[in-house]
Amino acid sequence: MSFQRFLLRRAIMVVPLMIGVVFITFMLVRVGSLDPVGRLAGPTATQAEFDAIRESLGLDKSLWHQFAIYVGSVLRGDLGESWLSNRSVLDDIRERAVISLELLFWGVGIGTLVGVPVGLRAAFRPNGRFDQFTRVLSLLGFSIPTYWLALVMIFVFFYLLGWAPPAIGRMSLLVTPPDPITGSYLIDGLLTANWEAAWSSASHLVLPVICLAIVSAAPIIKQTRAIAIEVLASDAVRYAHACGLPERTVRKLVLRNSAVPVLTFVGTELTGLVGTMSLIEFVFAWGGLGQYGLNAIISGDFTAVQGYVLTLALFSVLVFIVIDIIVHLIEPRSELS
Amino acid sequence: MTLLAVKDLHTHFVSRDADNRVRVAKALNGVSFSLDAGRTLGIVGETGAGKSLTAQSVVGLLRPPARIVSGSVIFEGQELTNMPAAELNDLRGGDIAMVVQNPRTSLDPLTRVGEQLVRLHQVHTGGPQALSQQRALEMMEAVGIPDPLSRARSWPHELSGGMAQRVLLAMALMNDPKLLIADEPTTGLDVTVQAQILDLLRDLTAQFNMATMMITHDLGVVAHFCDDIAVMFAGSIVESGPVPDVFAEPAHPYTRSLINATPERFRMGEKRTLGGQPPDLYNLPLGCTLQSRCTYASDTCKATVPNVEIAPGHLALCHFAGQLAEKQPVKDQASRNHA
Repeated sequence: MSFQRFLLRRAIMVVPLMIGVVFITFMLVRVGSLDPVGRLAGPTATQAEFDAIRESLGLDKSLWHQFAIYVGSVLRGDLGESWLSNRSVLDDIRERAVISLELLFWGVGIGTLVGVPVGLRAAFRPNGRFDQFTRVLSLLGFSIPTYWLALVMIFVFFYLLGWAPPAIGRMSLLVTPPDPITGSYLIDGLLTANWEAAWSSASHLVLPVICLAIVSAAPIIKQTRAIAIEVLASDAVRYAHACGLPERTVRKLVLRNSAVPVLTFVGTELTGLVGTMSLIEFVFAWGGLGQYGLNAIISGDFTAVQGYVLTLALFSVLVFIVIDIIVHLIEPRSELS
Repeated sequence: MTLLAVKDLHTHFVSRDADNRVRVAKALNGVSFSLDAGRTLGIVGETGAGKSLTAQSVVGLLRPPARIVSGSVIFEGQELTNMPAAELNDLRGGDIAMVVQNPRTSLDPLTRVGEQLVRLHQVHTGGPQALSQQRALEMMEAVGIPDPLSRARSWPHELSGGMAQRVLLAMALMNDPKLLIADEPTTGLDVTVQAQILDLLRDLTAQFNMATMMITHDLGVVAHFCDDIAVMFAGSIVESGPVPDVFAEPAHPYTRSLINATPERFRMGEKRTLGGQPPDLYNLPLGCTLQSRCTYASDTCKATVPNVEIAPGHLALCHFAGQLAEKQPVKDQASRNHA
């Protein structure tokens, strides 16, 4: 199968997947005991007002009717309107996705840059001192609850030491935000030479990024170590030693052969961490997509929840397609199916 | 001229159990043999007898927890057991080449076959890239790979088992080795392909004037392929000598039962198999390792075991070496099987 056909097939396969995701989230949101009408109407509303709101939201129609309407508008690219913000869900998500992506990029990026070399080094000397040390660290990273880590970091670095800025948003309130180009304060600040904004944005990024990096590095260390140890024990490495290849060449062989499984794992991490992101964003009042989704779930904003889950699903699919492409480029054995 | 001399080699696996007590598995117990230039030695034995471990000990490929405890390995007058890792690395793949089982998984899966051959030549011999490429094509031709130029561009996973083994042979030949160690080179190949590879190996050893150490569990291979044979059991060479001598008159009870266990013998109505399990390497008995399974064993076997030279170059690790023909088994078949 040619590469183009493979990509086309993957793209087409996204459609039924998305339909499934839309169906499940739509039904799940409604199965729960959330009632947005009560929240919107307020405590003093009369029954007539209740009914009016219910009717205006379309919640008086049958479940299947509601679903049909929703699928119809999603196909037209309309994710509906948030009942809380009264804005288009698509606009809300588009605005916040960049904010979250920035955090995710730095957090997982640093987590990978640290985790992969550490895992490799541990694998080259299993049960050595370095391995034992990093094993304890990664175990800690695994077991510490994310929100707790975030809170403790704020307590230590903001409250006790005063090194970090207060954890309210992505930039100091006293700084004028840069003109929006990409939506990321840091990049926009740099692009528009608004150094004050860029600096403020960078300093606000530090704590949440470290938090996310710790959470993502722990499993990456563990997995990279396991993958590299497996490769080191493989016939290919044994034979490379038997051929008297220099240590450097053998290590390069190990690296290349570990690359594909490590990359695949980082990809799954990336998609898995968007859930963890919600908590971190919440604690740091980040205002990104994660926090938006969490708020929507708590307040029963059906359309926003649906849009949020749909976006995450699309993101995961995209990440996996990109990984498939990269794997195809570096792995001669990859079968396109 | 002696190319490789192994003397009294002991290799142990030292590990610790759950209670942190040291556990020692005596995997090689005083292995000695020598190999002259241009000769072919076949090492046979059952799984776990220490055949591959002998090869790995010789070329310094042991992985922890295995290590050489004592003994010496002399290759061309150089002691290998205490040689620095870098020098040993130069020797491996250079003067000492190896062919292993599982050729398909042994090649680097992410490098084209031709590049692997060139890389090996560059590492050990050096010189211009073009020369290495030329040599790679010649060696692929020599091992009977059709259309070497296009095959050089193949990925390892695209090769059949037999073709991959030919590539491994070409790899081994790249640097004109003096010693070839073939560790079960035909295991896992189809029977017809096995025969082709063995024939090829025999031609190449003559053509390139290599000494060969052939590790196998197939006595037929040794009979057709080798000048000398060494039979291993529980980490010792129990019998060694020229192939015709050993096959005509096996002097050790274990060799006898091995030869009697070949399908040809079965067909001739001789159904004598060696019962029991191989001895526990963590807890080897004093004296002969075969004592609990041997039909001839007497009390002397539980104390010591001599290495007896029956004929020039024909050695056996047994009190009764050379006298088995006239000796009656102490225990009969029925009682042994019963026990």
